[in-house]
Amino acid sequence: MPESKVTLNLAISVGEALLKNGGEIYRVQETVSRILEAYGIEDYHVFVITNGIFATVYEQREDAGSMVRYVPIGEVNLKRVAEINQLSREICEKKCSIPEAFERLEQCRNSSSAGNLALVFACGVGSAGFCYLLGGRPYDSMVSFFLGVFLEIFLILAAKYHASRFIMNILGSALVTAGSLTLFVAGAGILSDKVIIGGIIPLVPGVALTTAIRDLFNGDYLSGSIRLIDALLTGMCIAIGVGGVIKIFQMLGGGAFLL
Amino acid sequence: MIDQIVVSMAATIAFAVLFHVPRSEYLLCGINGAIGWMVYLLCASMGTGVVIASIWAALVLTLIARILSAIRKMPSTVFLITGIFTLVPGSGIYYTSYYLIMNDLEQCAAKGMETFKIAGAIVLGIIFGLMLPQSWFNQLGKIWKK
Repeated sequence: MPESKVTLNLAISVGEALLKNGGEIYRVQETVSRILEAYGIEDYHVFVITNGIFATVYEQREDAGSMVRYVPIGEVNLKRVAEINQLSREICEKKCSIPEAFERLEQCRNSSSAGNLALVFACGVGSAGFCYLLGGRPYDSMVSFFLGVFLEIFLILAAKYHASRFIMNILGSALVTAGSLTLFVAGAGILSDKVIIGGIIPLVPGVALTTAIRDLFNGDYLSGSIRLIDALLTGMCIAIGVGGVIKIFQMLGGGAFLL
Repeated sequence: MIDQIVVSMAATIAFAVLFHVPRSEYLLCGINGAIGWMVYLLCASMGTGVVIASIWAALVLTLIARILSAIRKMPSTVFLITGIFTLVPGSGIYYTSYYLIMNDLEQCAAKGMETFKIAGAIVLGIIFGLMLPQSWFNQLGKIWKK
């Protein structure tokens, strides 16, 4: 394989890993360009959108290379983004040979992150915290903590079976609402609305919204719109899940309990 | 007041764990989230309304995230994504769908509009925060290193 192709492969692999773990478009574009430059490639073109990278080098020459990668929207992992950022910084300071860089990239891709138990606990604490911040009493946040725990367990299981993100959001918010309303009807004396709000916070599309704005601000309108639609649809899915369950409870009670 | 600071910090750190932020940055993420929430509460208590309060909070959050990212040599997304969660209108989504089911369309429209306004306010706040040139923050990082 000609040198230019090996370099292109490295640059686009780094870009792919960055994009997959939640990096912004301009960061990916700049990283790929800088790496290509660091290894002495002068003529290159890079195009990045939310779920794909396209790049070519030396189109006019014998050792021309072009590559396309499809990158589905995945789980956000900011630790890996930070590590890959550090790697690209070192490459640009010319501290790394190409094989070394590949090895480092492999390490970054597999770098350990918080375990499932930590995730479940964190989701509970997040739910409880927001329940309290948005006007719940300590008792309500305790209930919210358990709903958050159940929600994250459900999300982890659903991810294992590759459930679609729509279904995950609808069922997740339905689960939280059903849990809260069941306790309310059973006479647990909770403020069911605050508990539900706390419980659905982990599903709310904060990341998609933030990334969408950053992409739009940097002039990547296509990618920004993709993320924005993602945020909007996620919000609607949550609304469907919550609304559907409230309706079911209403019908079951025959209008007996005003929620 | 202190309980609000502690709880908002804990909640932000919980989200930092959920998004796999490097362990060394947990505390800074928490502090950023708490500051954002404080700004929000302060503005709201001065009677600016939730939309203006969201703009200010998002602006302060973004600036702090950029300063921290220059000092800690981390991508600013790390601090921004986790901090912004205290502002995202989760309750707006709930009340909109609740009033829709209750067939109270007037309230539903009002809450739905408010949710969009808050989301827009966060957008504006972040954009204002991103407007300052990156070179200023890089300078700040260098000064800090000395």
